[in-house]
Amino acid sequence: MNLSLIALLCCTAQTAQQPKTQGDAPRKNWVVSAERVYTAAGRSLEHGTVVVQGAKIGMVSSGSEDNGPETLACYAVTPGLVDASVRINSGALSVEQSREETPELRVTDTLSAYDIAWDAQAGSGVTCVLAAAPDLNVIGGLAAVLKTAGEPSIEKRTVKNDAVLRGAIGSQPSRGNHPAFGRPTDFYSRRPTTRMGVEWEWRKSFYEAAASRKDPARAFKGSTQVLAALDGKLTLDIQAWTTQDIRTAVFLKEELEKEPQLGGKPRLVIDAAAEAWKEPELLVRSHTSIVLPPFPEDGRTDDGAFMAWNTAALLVEQGVPIALSAHGDTSPAGRLSMQAGYAMQGGLDFDQALAAVTINPARMLGVEDRVGSLEVGKDADLVLWNGEPFQATSRVIGVIVDGALVLDPRTKQ
Amino acid sequence: MLTAILTACALLSGPGATPAKGEPRVLVVRAEKLLLGDGTTLDAGAVLIEDGRIRAFGKDVDVPAGAGVITHPGWVSAGLVALHAYAGAPEELRDSSRPVLDGKVAWAFDPAHSDFADAVAAGITTLVLVPQRNALSGGSSAVVKTAGARVLTEQAQLSLSFSAAALAPNRYPTSFGSAMAELEQRFEKPQGAFARAKSGELPVLFEADSREDVQRVVAFAKRLKLRGAVYGADWIGELAESVNEAHLAAIFAPFDPGEERRTIQSVLKLAKSGTAFGFGLDSPWKSPESLRLSAALCLREGLDRKLAWRSLSSQAAEIAGVGERVGRIEKGHDADLVLWSGDPLDLKSRVDAVFVDGQRVYEAKKP
Repeated sequence: MNLSLIALLCCTAQTAQQPKTQGDAPRKNWVVSAERVYTAAGRSLEHGTVVVQGAKIGMVSSGSEDNGPETLACYAVTPGLVDASVRINSGALSVEQSREETPELRVTDTLSAYDIAWDAQAGSGVTCVLAAAPDLNVIGGLAAVLKTAGEPSIEKRTVKNDAVLRGAIGSQPSRGNHPAFGRPTDFYSRRPTTRMGVEWEWRKSFYEAAASRKDPARAFKGSTQVLAALDGKLTLDIQAWTTQDIRTAVFLKEELEKEPQLGGKPRLVIDAAAEAWKEPELLVRSHTSIVLPPFPEDGRTDDGAFMAWNTAALLVEQGVPIALSAHGDTSPAGRLSMQAGYAMQGGLDFDQALAAVTINPARMLGVEDRVGSLEVGKDADLVLWNGEPFQATSRVIGVIVDGALVLDPRTKQ
Repeated sequence: MLTAILTACALLSGPGATPAKGEPRVLVVRAEKLLLGDGTTLDAGAVLIEDGRIRAFGKDVDVPAGAGVITHPGWVSAGLVALHAYAGAPEELRDSSRPVLDGKVAWAFDPAHSDFADAVAAGITTLVLVPQRNALSGGSSAVVKTAGARVLTEQAQLSLSFSAAALAPNRYPTSFGSAMAELEQRFEKPQGAFARAKSGELPVLFEADSREDVQRVVAFAKRLKLRGAVYGADWIGELAESVNEAHLAAIFAPFDPGEERRTIQSVLKLAKSGTAFGFGLDSPWKSPESLRLSAALCLREGLDRKLAWRSLSSQAAEIAGVGERVGRIEKGHDADLVLWSGDPLDLKSRVDAVFVDGQRVYEAKKP
């Protein structure tokens, strides 16, 4: 697909989000009155008001409004939380096993709008997520940014289709030369069996895609998407847990920039980068953004990586842009708001923690014009809290997505 | 165009046009009630059959000299039309070894199979035979007359499977994403049945299971401007608006006596949106009687009587692309008639006799 088409898709996704009530409860204008308004846009207000007009934020102001029937009162209001790495998909049916590189495949083709996992996300305060296929292919394909509530239609909930080109470096795509699901068969000698094989597949794809610029005969399935990632028009989102894999991802990015025949300008987000704290200067040097996996109880994450409570604080201190993720967990102890709490326990201050679950992931996914902060004109995605956000004693009591009340604070007190 | 002409010639010179062997060339069937294609009834009517076709029908039909006359103490309707069946070849229509197989069901069934006689005995005179859904496309469906299993339309629909059953772990594609990409590519430089479907000449039979599948179908059909029908998604009625917007018809799998209410409600929602619908038969796994049962259950739930009847006859024939030939008592249509003991939507009614192309092909044994 060419880039104008990607741009077009983004536009259609935007118009699809315009307020439209179809059999739903009529959308009202809400006045959210809170003792603390945390905007994630530089300023916090004491005793403030957020006015929701249709699907958008109409006003953010100090002082409380009159208590009409459409006033929702709470202790604190924040933007809807954004998770750049939830694991909602159709499992095996979301992974094409006949090839290990499937850059052209769209995760939106495999999602179910009726999955109750979306409701659980919305109920826990997460209003916008990146949905990707399971990271079992080297280049898995195009991931999409979606709202977690609204009409049950993936098309209508999509904020940005083809948001990032998603892939993996590490043991997952190289774990055994057999299908990721189902019985081993000898139909395909699928997937590299080593980390070096994975690394080679990445570079091969980029070199082949670059060669196809001059020689169209060398184009392959998905080379357009790989080229878009090379040119920085499509963000590269690579899963890499351990130091060695994070280094591979960064070195790949630097090679794409350095090699004259490639002439790349890639934008890189490393997902699940548990061990990013070991070499933060590498990340700063290469302008790489990081999505952290959920904080593990015993320090050990997937792929044998180590992540401590102060990982988020340390990275922010070093100047690495970070986002936190719950990897789709919505349990009381594992949900995204608790990840922000754990990061604070590890030394991150509140504003940084808020940014790491709102505006930072929104920027990484290229949807910061729509979501991630409470600003006039942005999507009316709000979370209402009964206490200070991210504290273990606070609860999400209200959720608004695109101006529609998904969780009503008046019945949840 | 040439094929269209050839097909037309073939139709005109087919067995339907030859004079009846067992029956008089001209035959009048009188009945207490005629059930017409739009679902209305006509008291004390008659149908005039000449050379296997319906020449006239109504209250006052002149009986030509030398015509045979049958007076039936019950109802007479057009033969039922069942969409989506595997009669005569269930396992032969399943090929999951490759993603796309441009096969023709018309050449892959056993015309002598007892499935066809069973269908006739249930008043079903026309069937749509389809490939199974275990590949992205198993090929083209065929419309056959149950009596003698004669092929009416050799290539009726292009079958495209959006069901998870089309994916297999041991061959490409294994994922929904790849399946969609592959189908899209097949339509970029279309070959065979894909080319006919893309030009709008051939309708598409979209196989689906869930509402998610239906959403994918609707998006795909709109993007590629394909026409046709969606089969197999019980709750498709919950997406009636978007299905209707995409100008697709719906085909329901036949109902069981204890069918879930939500599924029956789904039919009513679909009917309310104005979307055309019919029922599949899925023979030999379902009894041919389940066709009438499906409509009767909808009737009990509150479906309009005329719509219920049309879903078994004229509307189903239109979905199958043979609405100009079968499915209603109409001048010029094939003389495919069922003589019922009473109202066919009343499950107490029995089939007394069946005529196809003016020939008596079934007669119930007198108790």
